[in-house]
Amino acid sequence: MTVSLDGVSKSFGHLLVLDDITDVFAEGEMTALLGPSGSGKSTLLRIIAGLTPLDSGRVLLSGRDVTKAPARDRHIGFCFQDYAPFRHLSVFGNIAYGLKVQRIPRAQRKAQVDELLGLVRLEEFADRYPHQLSGGQRQRMALARALAIKPDVLLLDEPFGALDAQVRGELRSWVRSLQRELGITTILVTHDQSEAMEIADRLVILNDGKIEQAGKPSFVYDHPATDFVAGFLGPITTLWGIDYRPHELELALDGDEGEKGTVTEVVRLGFEVRVVLTNQTSESTWVQLTHDQAKALNPVVGQKFVVRPRAQNLVHNDATSREARPID
Amino acid sequence: MKRPSLALRCLVLLYVAALLGVPLVFVFQQAFSHGWAALWAALHDHAMDEAILLTAKVVVLAVPLNVFFGIGASLWIVRHPSRISHVLDVLIDIPLAISPIVVGLILELAYAQNGWFGSTFSKLGWKVMFSLPGIVVASIFVSLPLVSRQVIPLLREIGDHQEQTAATLGAKPTRIFFTITLRSIAWACAYGVTLTLARVIGEYGAVLIVSGNIAMLTQTLTLNIGANFENFNGYQGFVGALLLALVSVLVLVVIGVARHRLERKRHDSFA
Repeated sequence: MTVSLDGVSKSFGHLLVLDDITDVFAEGEMTALLGPSGSGKSTLLRIIAGLTPLDSGRVLLSGRDVTKAPARDRHIGFCFQDYAPFRHLSVFGNIAYGLKVQRIPRAQRKAQVDELLGLVRLEEFADRYPHQLSGGQRQRMALARALAIKPDVLLLDEPFGALDAQVRGELRSWVRSLQRELGITTILVTHDQSEAMEIADRLVILNDGKIEQAGKPSFVYDHPATDFVAGFLGPITTLWGIDYRPHELELALDGDEGEKGTVTEVVRLGFEVRVVLTNQTSESTWVQLTHDQAKALNPVVGQKFVVRPRAQNLVHNDATSREARPID
Repeated sequence: MKRPSLALRCLVLLYVAALLGVPLVFVFQQAFSHGWAALWAALHDHAMDEAILLTAKVVVLAVPLNVFFGIGASLWIVRHPSRISHVLDVLIDIPLAISPIVVGLILELAYAQNGWFGSTFSKLGWKVMFSLPGIVVASIFVSLPLVSRQVIPLLREIGDHQEQTAATLGAKPTRIFFTITLRSIAWACAYGVTLTLARVIGEYGAVLIVSGNIAMLTQTLTLNIGANFENFNGYQGFVGALLLALVSVLVLVVIGVARHRLERKRHDSFA
């Protein structure tokens, strides 16, 4: 099912949180709403779910206008960052909740819950209560509970925010493969750009209640429409007053087409090596090298190099490449 | 942490014994002082039985009303905060701040036959003062905050994400209330109910004024005990006190269980 937003605006008091958002989330696609805190991404998610009323604009599900429909009639699965487990119900009871609402007979309900328990690998935990689960298990339970009603759309608010790094990595790829398997239109909110790049088919970058840019993660990363997007998605450095990704620059021992500079700092971060160079007019640039590149060049402080771009420079302040999709 | 010294522990125990233990033992001792047969007869005292019946009626009416109001007010204050609900939040505590005697006098001013609404009510043929409705109103008034003061902090703590999740799963508001909200606050309500129960059964001052304290008609158990002492019928008074003490012990047990469950609920809350 596609989710279309048509000029959605929302204010809290005098604060404009969402300013005329128009976009289409395609069938079966995994979209990451990415932005700093306060950019309006969670509010947008709540508006799609029907948990927060909007001030103006429309929300359409495959063309059906649901702007005024309450959350219970939208058939949209929603997972909160804190997972909001029903504390007084067991894992089984949590997952069965939506099926009970739909008055599915007991035997059929049990079969469906058992299947979901298998899907989220919580078979052993059916009788446990939420407080007896780890963070990752609670998250999978919340996901199974949302999926139980076979929703048309799945919304995840900062789904991995409250987990430690290792569990987060595992769950991320697991959620990704599950989403592919089920083919469910999914929108997730995150402020972590690496998470968004890894998991999403499409990024929508929000800032100050506006869509800054949208598109495929790799495209947006390589062709950021604005300085904000460029800086938010990854490191940038400047050479001749132009922005580059530090890995898009290279070092050479000599050559004509490049800026001559002296190494002032070398930082080794495992696989990555950062080399900071300063030219004659004290402008500094930093270059990101792989471990192998660094080994070949072996840069040391005080050494002279030529810095030059490996590829075309990066930032296009070109409104047409922002790619928010218009509504048909 | 260092254990408090033996002397300090003895002091605390002595303090509690002098304040609570000795009077309680004294009540039991007095009530049983004339033997079982006398106790049995005293339990069948006509005026006291009528008083117990009246107290039971008041409990049956006042406690559910107070629970209903307490939950409703709590939901309004926590889930739909507005200027009016903030005022309500403050007003709910008034009964804790003013003396029951004053409550009684206020109610008399309002509901007596020549009072503000009393005159209208008497035209309609309703008698509020010196009858059951007045006693119920006074009981509700003095126990007004006891449920909501337990429920409000818990509602704030659990937040509304569970309720909203239930909504996205297709549940209607009434279903959400009964399956999520009420289940979450059940033990806080139980605690509030027992506090209300104890307060309604034990209330003296406000009820004394609004009831008129007429034996066999508008005399609750506490008023009956008071009247027996005043009329030099101390033994009968101690038997009534014994009954109240037994109710108190029961209430304490229920409160203990409810509070234990409530604290466990809080410990189960998530980071």
